[in-house]
Order: sequence, then C-alpha cells, then structure tokens
Amino acid sequence: MRPNFPVRLGAAEQALIDQLKSAGADQAAERISVAGLPTRRVESYHYTDLKMLLRAIPALGQPANEASAPALRVPGAFNLMIANGVIQNASTAPAGVIVGKAQGGVLTTRDDVLVHVNNGLAKEALTLTLENSVDPVIQVERRIEGEAAHVADALKVFVADGASAVILETFSGSDAAHVGNHATYMALGKNAVVTHITLDLSARGVSHFATNEYHLGDGAKLRTLIIHAGAGLSRTHLFPHMGGAEAHADVTGLNLVSEGQHADITMETSHAVPHTSSQPLFKSIARGRSKAVVQGKLVVARDAQKTDAKFMHQGLMLSDEAEILSKPELEIYADDVVCGHGSTCGMLDEDSLFYLLSRGIPKAEAETMLVRGFIAELLDPVEDEALNEALQGVVDGWLLGQ
Amino acid sequence: MTTPVLEIRNLHARIEEREILKGVNLIIPPGEVHAIMGRNGSGKSTLSYVLAGKEDYEVTEGEILLNGENILEMEPDERAAAGLFLAFQYPIEIPGVATMTFLKAAINAQRKARGEGELTTPEFMRLVKEAGSQLNIDNDMLKRPLNVGFSGGEKKRAEIMQMALLKPSLAVLDETDSGLDIDALQVVSKGVNALRDGQRSMLVITHYQRLLNHIVPDVVHVFADGRIVESGDKELALKLEAEGYANYGGEAA
Repeated sequence: MRPNFPVRLGAAEQALIDQLKSAGADQAAERISVAGLPTRRVESYHYTDLKMLLRAIPALGQPANEASAPALRVPGAFNLMIANGVIQNASTAPAGVIVGKAQGGVLTTRDDVLVHVNNGLAKEALTLTLENSVDPVIQVERRIEGEAAHVADALKVFVADGASAVILETFSGSDAAHVGNHATYMALGKNAVVTHITLDLSARGVSHFATNEYHLGDGAKLRTLIIHAGAGLSRTHLFPHMGGAEAHADVTGLNLVSEGQHADITMETSHAVPHTSSQPLFKSIARGRSKAVVQGKLVVARDAQKTDAKFMHQGLMLSDEAEILSKPELEIYADDVVCGHGSTCGMLDEDSLFYLLSRGIPKAEAETMLVRGFIAELLDPVEDEALNEALQGVVDGWLLGQ
Repeated sequence: MTTPVLEIRNLHARIEEREILKGVNLIIPPGEVHAIMGRNGSGKSTLSYVLAGKEDYEVTEGEILLNGENILEMEPDERAAAGLFLAFQYPIEIPGVATMTFLKAAINAQRKARGEGELTTPEFMRLVKEAGSQLNIDNDMLKRPLNVGFSGGEKKRAEIMQMALLKPSLAVLDETDSGLDIDALQVVSKGVNALRDGQRSMLVITHYQRLLNHIVPDVVHVFADGRIVESGDKELALKLEAEGYANYGGEAA
C-alpha cells in the first residue's frame, strides 16, 4: 500500500490548523497538518470517519450577546452556564459548592484529535469544588449561540472525600451549524458518590463532541448517563479511570438517532488497581436512515486483580435502514478477573406488541411503551424526581417527534 | 332470537402454508360458558389467537362476528375495545413497563375508543384495589414490571385481574389451568366465576377436564383436526376424561 503522507487537507482541516495556530497550539496544528482528521482507517474512528463527516469548521466563537431558551429546566437545580466558551456569572452557590475559573484545558493529553483541539482552544475552564454532599442538582448549561461557531469549553470538578452530588450538563444553543468540543474532567475522592448526566439537545445542524474523563479514588461510586438526542453528528468519549480500591462505575449511555443522524459513544475504562468494578451499559435506538455507534473498551492493568467488569450494548432498530454498530474490546493484563462483554440488536418484540394490542392499547402507544420499557433501566436509577421527569420528557419528545 | 356474543362461521385459517383451522362453526349466546377440549396440536390455541387478531395467522375463509359485528378486519386493539379479551396461556413478560402503568393505559385506551372519558387516578386506584384483593394481588406485585418474575400462578391471576378490569363481553381463556397448582386453580376459578353475570360469555380452552370442575361450562365442544367435531353438555367432558381423544381420529400427540 502506498504511504498516505502527507495527506491532502480539506477545508475543515485547514480551518482547524489555522485556529490552533492562532491560539498558540502549534503542536496540535502540526499534528493535523501531517495526519489530517482521522478516517475509518484509524481504529478508534472506524465507524465515525471524521474526515468524511466533518466537512467544515466555522469561525471560533465570540462572546454571545443573545441567548436561546434553556434546553431543559429542572426545578430546584442550581444553574451555571458557559456560553460560547465564556463562563457566565452564577447565582449564589448552594452550601458546599465553590465555583471558580481556571486557565486553559482540563483533559489529560492522549492521542486523540478532539482532545488535542479542546486542550488547544479552551481558554478558561469552569471549576467546581464540592466539599460535602450537595442536595440540589447542579446543572451546567453549555450553549453555543448566534452565528455558526466553533467552540471549545471545559469543566473541572473536584468531589471531596465522602461528598455526593448529581451533576447534569446540557448542550444546546442557536440553530446554526456549530461545532462544539466540550471537555469535562472529574475527580472523585474517597467514597464520593456522583451521578453525572450529559444531555445533548443541540440543533440538528450541529456537530457535537465531548470528552469526559473521570478519576475515581478508593470506594468512589460513579454513575454516568450520556444521552445523544440532538446534534446531527455527535461523539462522546468516556475515559473512566478506576484508580482506588473498591471504586465502582456504572457507565451508561443512550444514543437516540433519527433520519440522517450519526451518534457515537466511545468508552475506554481503565481498571488500574486491584478490586475495582465497572458495569458499562449502553443502549441505542435508531429510526430512519441513521447510525448509532458504541465502542467500549475495558483495560485491566497487570496489577488490577479481582477486577469485575462487564460491557453491554443493546440496540433497538425501529427501521430497516437504520444501522447500529457495536464494538466491545477487552485488553486484560491481569490473570484473576471477571470481565465480559455482550451485545444485542433487534426490532421491537412482536409478541410483546401483540400482548399490549390485545389489551386495547393502540399500536403507536404500545410501541412507545415498549421503547420506554427498553430505556427504563437507564433512567430509573436517576433518583431525583424532577430530573428523572425532565429526562423522561426528553425521551418522550424524541419518541413523538417522528 | 338475541344476537349471539360470538358467532364463528366456517372459519379457515393458516400459518404460512399450513392450514390449521378447517371450518370452525360456533355460536355462543350471551351469558353462556363454552368449553373447547382437544388434544395438543388440534388447533385450539390457534383459534384463540385468530379471535384476538394475531398477525401471523391468515384467515382464508369464513367470518367471526362479535355481538353481530364482523371483527376480521379489525386490529387487535380494536377487537379489545369491541369487547374481546384473551387470557394468554403464556402471558408475556415486559421489562421496564410497570404493571400499574400498563393497566391504566389499557383501561383508558379502551374507554377512549368507546368514547368514554379517562378515569381519574383515584378512581383507577380504587378499581385496581378492588379487583386485586379478590385475586390476592397486592400493591407490590402491581409495582413490578408486567409479568416479569411473576410465578405461573401470579401470571394467571394477573390475567384474570385484567379481565375483571376490562369487563369484556367475551373472554377467551386459553389453557388458563396450565402451570397452576390446586390452590392457584381455585383462586383463578373463583375470579373467573365472579365475572359470570348472565351477560358476559366465555370460551374456555383446555385439554384437561379438571378446570371444568371449577368453571362449569354450559356447553362442551370437542376440537380435532382444526374443527369442532362434537358438542354436548358438561357430561361430554367427563366422557372425554375417561376415554381420551382416541375416538376423534388422528395420532396421539
């Protein structure tokens, strides 16, 4: 095979290079000018060929002077906002929450173009320090407003030993062809308990990228719920690092895709020390000509004996043209672990549907009930009633919005 | 003559290329309980699915009239709203759908289809509590996902409770006795008998006479090779129990 270097650069790549250079991120710029955006030949982008899918990068976002309606209102939540990368002033924080700002990006460097771009372009990061258990849901709204813009923003959360919190991030904004590149770094102290929900409700013209990195200390418990329900193209990276004994992560996510949409959740969980566990569970629902991707990798270090981890992806096809792609990977260096993976994919069950119809429930309603039932396993663990209801509303809205 | 609740005329049905029902004729007047007995594979369960409108079966000939109205062109949900209820031999487990949510959706969908208003939550709760208490169904069971992890007896009791709440004019009970021990059989039979009100008709499908000691039929039909081959009173069931189905042809299943 002929070597592919140097690659032919497209308009999107050229724009990225210029923007990175203007921000002083020469190394990241250099990397893209040599390798270009990843194509299907790059293993981790095999099902999400960025060179093909990302044809244009709009100008870097400027501070916003207009605002769209909030994407999701959760009664009782404490709200924070980052608009076009700029951290907005917040109301008084609830007890135990310290809100601050830090310079630059928050992600640990790794060989990934979206991570490089975020670290290169994010100017300031919103920081949250949670000193004890926080009652209200903390909602961080990330908006991209106005004309089409390329925005990189960042959030860094420290959760003190023994503290607990529910953190919701919503992604939304104006109806333009934005490219969002969002980073979240979260460190959980000993025995901290965190539920972290990210919900993409961007407009259809948006390309939404997010990278969530988690570091769990001894006995920390993390539950994530990633929901893709907006952008035409979305990809969320999840990098949980199980660094403390007895740490446990329920890493969950949901791709909801309709005609023309492409959603991708790519997870790599690293079990670094003995006695940690994780339970990644993802679901995808696809209708029309659409594509949902879940890649899940479990990496177990040589010392991480007694790791208990099981990856699962379940797909529900609501049309014949939909595609659901599943790629589990196990990379295990220890010899005394319980690790596994599973994947299922199918249409709605005919017998279940007939049972509901035979009780007088009309077909559309019966299908909705079955789809809700399919998702219940992901939404039920969200205990905050107002938040659970709001998320259910998002899912119902998607189901009804053919 | 009053309109029968169910009238089946020369019904033929097949699944893929195989003909299973080969000319069924049956009339059930209001308030009567008819039993259909037959060996495994004779087509009894197929009859119940064809009545309820399961897609897999194709009706090639004949008519099914429910209260004088041909239901063959109706979808399963429309048949239910028209007054048909099928108690499944194997009720389907549906994870993620709470039993209570399902019951409310079913009752209100049928009320809506008949042009009646939806029940308020307190009204609904009262009805469910009443129906549940007669069948030893408690609140915990109603909060669980529909039929998931229910024992055989719980599933059948839940079916009868649905029937009590939906108040059909025709109830088809498909092998309701299968998987039940004697105690559960009595609870279920009591629930069914409580719904005999002189108007509601029932079609009880079984291959053991045992159930018919508890739910006493007005008429017993013998089903063999896709049609009714003999009809009689409840004594016919006892005769079948003693002699088996050998006199009605075909191989033993």
